[in-house]
Amino acid sequence: MAAGFKTAEPLEYHRSFLKENCRPDGRELSEFRTTTLNIGSITTADGSALVKMGNTTIICGIKAELANPTVDAPGKGYIVPNVDLPPLCSSRFRPGPPGEQAQAASQFIADVIESSEVIETEDLCIDRGKLCWVLYCDIMCLDYDGNILDAAVVALLAALRNTQLPEVTVNKETSTPEVNFEKRHRLHIHKHPVGTSFCVFDDSVLIVDPTAEEESLSTAQLTVVTDEDDRLCSLHKPGGSSMSGEKLQECINRATARQREIQKLIEKVTHSVTTAQ
Amino acid sequence: MATVQVSEAEKVYILHGIRDDLRVDGRGCEDYRHMEIETDVVSNTDGSAKVTLGHTAVLVGIKAEIGKPRPMVPNEGYLEFFVDCSANATPEFEGRGGEELGTELSNTLYRVFNNKHSLDLRSLCISPGEHCWVLYVDVLLLQCDGNLYDAMSVAIKAALFNTKIPRVNISSDDEGGKEIELSDDPFDCMRLDVENVPCIVTLCKVGHRHVVDATLQEKACSVASLLISVTHKGAVTCARKVGGGSLDPESVFEMTEAGKRVGKALHAPLMALLRQEESLGMKRHKVGFLG
Amino acid sequence: MPTDTKRVRGPEVSQSPVLFGCRPAAVLPSHGPRADGRQRDQADVRPVFVRCGLVSQANGSAYMEAGSTKLMCCVYGPRETERKDETDMKCGRLTTDMRLAPFSCPVRGSWIQGTQDKDLSLMLYESLQPAVCLQKYPRSQIEVSVMVLENSGSVLAHAVTCASLALADAGIEMYDLVLGCSLCQDAGSYVVDPTYAEETSCGSGGGLTVAFLPSLNQISGLQSDGEMSEETLTAGVRTCIEGCYKLYPVIQQALIQALRRAAPPPSES
Repeated sequence: MAAGFKTAEPLEYHRSFLKENCRPDGRELSEFRTTTLNIGSITTADGSALVKMGNTTIICGIKAELANPTVDAPGKGYIVPNVDLPPLCSSRFRPGPPGEQAQAASQFIADVIESSEVIETEDLCIDRGKLCWVLYCDIMCLDYDGNILDAAVVALLAALRNTQLPEVTVNKETSTPEVNFEKRHRLHIHKHPVGTSFCVFDDSVLIVDPTAEEESLSTAQLTVVTDEDDRLCSLHKPGGSSMSGEKLQECINRATARQREIQKLIEKVTHSVTTAQ
Repeated sequence: MATVQVSEAEKVYILHGIRDDLRVDGRGCEDYRHMEIETDVVSNTDGSAKVTLGHTAVLVGIKAEIGKPRPMVPNEGYLEFFVDCSANATPEFEGRGGEELGTELSNTLYRVFNNKHSLDLRSLCISPGEHCWVLYVDVLLLQCDGNLYDAMSVAIKAALFNTKIPRVNISSDDEGGKEIELSDDPFDCMRLDVENVPCIVTLCKVGHRHVVDATLQEKACSVASLLISVTHKGAVTCARKVGGGSLDPESVFEMTEAGKRVGKALHAPLMALLRQEESLGMKRHKVGFLG
Repeated sequence: MPTDTKRVRGPEVSQSPVLFGCRPAAVLPSHGPRADGRQRDQADVRPVFVRCGLVSQANGSAYMEAGSTKLMCCVYGPRETERKDETDMKCGRLTTDMRLAPFSCPVRGSWIQGTQDKDLSLMLYESLQPAVCLQKYPRSQIEVSVMVLENSGSVLAHAVTCASLALADAGIEMYDLVLGCSLCQDAGSYVVDPTYAEETSCGSGGGLTVAFLPSLNQISGLQSDGEMSEETLTAGVRTCIEGCYKLYPVIQQALIQALRRAAPPPSES
């Protein structure tokens, strides 16, 4: 009976739960799904992390390459984040070039990196005006069950924390770079931005960490990114129903609490990985 | 690939014939159809050949260009393959229809030549790490009547044999810079050693036996085929199962054995023919496309 | 050069630091025990870890690890054929899509599917298709997508195994499981289930990948490159089949385990 109701009237089905201040998967309105983190499992990448939030699974692999800096910014390196939603992760995605959602997600991640200053691109400079690092941050969804933005930000942050770059010296005579893979050093992570996504149901009810089904039924979506100093790094609200200032403040408060949880999780996992080595 | 519809009765007829080592066109199981080879058919390439096998027609043109060696192998040149499935060959190739087959064929060619002995890639090097010859091998399918792989590989071998790469001299000036000079004499050119270039033999499993050089009708009766590329010494440079069915291990072994035997036997007459045509020189009677 | 407007672009050229390593990569010995302690000239496959049904959105999925090769496969379908002109009234359509993640190899790969990926997809298709009862799914398509997360050698062989497991997990009718095994031949000796380093360092020899249906004793996929004599090829095929049989119980166990989880046996009470 319940299964039939769910398929025939998905919105009504969800509403009946929300009326009782809970959700079909048993969560409260402001409760996140269980988040697990796995760091450094991909040995071919310079840094990697796998995040699971409920069913949603996102992997981020970071590959560093050498390039020439631009003329406008001779002392800066590059960070190139890309989000891929391959056909593997859900039946809604087709093979081929990235779709609208993947493009929007890539742009969102790029904005978060830019505005939060998680890494100073100056740190990626090797030889001013001549050589710098490019960090290719390839974020890939392996199981799409909603809220990929939050998971992507966590995966990116954890992978950056995990990244170790080899030491590079520039040979004075031949002016070619020489890479010493034995000596590696970690990146300096300046800030820890963490995203928190919300969905608005029927223009009024606010829920956190939506699943794919909740996302498709909601009237608006909102992602708030804050860092450890409670600064607001990014606010992403693509269209949908309007929202009052109070509600927004509520969201920001929830986001700052979430930031603490995630940072603690990353610290814990990073610590367990380093002590295990 | 181009397909034909074969009725059940026809299938039985073909199957029974093959069982008795007699095929519809009178051939035995390991016989090729009539093959015609003509080299030097396209004047603005560095080497070319046209091969017809039954009604299958393939044209191969080779262009040599100076490029940069691959960073991993600085002292070798390399080959690039491109297979164009012309819409002339079969209406199925119209639009993007032939693209998939083209990639499949060219990927197989890369595999066939992916070893050290097929072609001496070092001879294609001009100056290590800086310049080398890149041979662009363009295959054009003019007509499809089964057994594209075999026809294509014979045509490539013939075209490589025919290829004349101009000689180059490297002169270094006072400042240590290098300059490449092409020889003025058009007859002063380098030839490739094609002795080790493999030929592909496709074996189709039909019933309990396998046939070489299957026609489209025979192909329609077969579940799977095995293609193997064999050098004149009998070394296998590539093997691949193609088609929708599966094969039991014993028939795979039988087919490899047969493929090696047939492939090995293919090389000597082919080389003799190519040399004979070459020796005719200017006296050669050109047949061209309409002959 | 056409610019890619759908992705965040980096600098126009960048080079992998691997090219500038200050000491040359260690050359693997061509005899004696292998770097990971396995034996040469034996069907010594790496222990595998397999798990079915990890992806919530897919009809069937499987994850596989062999050494540090990691890949996952999802199966969607059977569902209606998307392109109406390709609808087949008698027979279903199988599509395969295999990709190497950009961070899966020592040198970063591109997002755009290269010829290597296409070639692998085709090989995967040819190895799986004989095993799937496509005539049971008229007018529909079954999509198989494989993502290689870390390439530590023998990706095609493991992709075949993983994909057949995912197909079984999706409840697609098949004649048999398909198992894959590969080997690398080099100067008189061979290594089964080679690692990435072994694959790239085997110079004069060649590689061989076999896809095998174990209970029907049929070879559904075979591909080799490099130079081999006919005898070595035949011996190689035999060794790969032996390797597949070693894998078989592990794969069966994984399937049984997945089935148990999906439908727990009725309690005795």
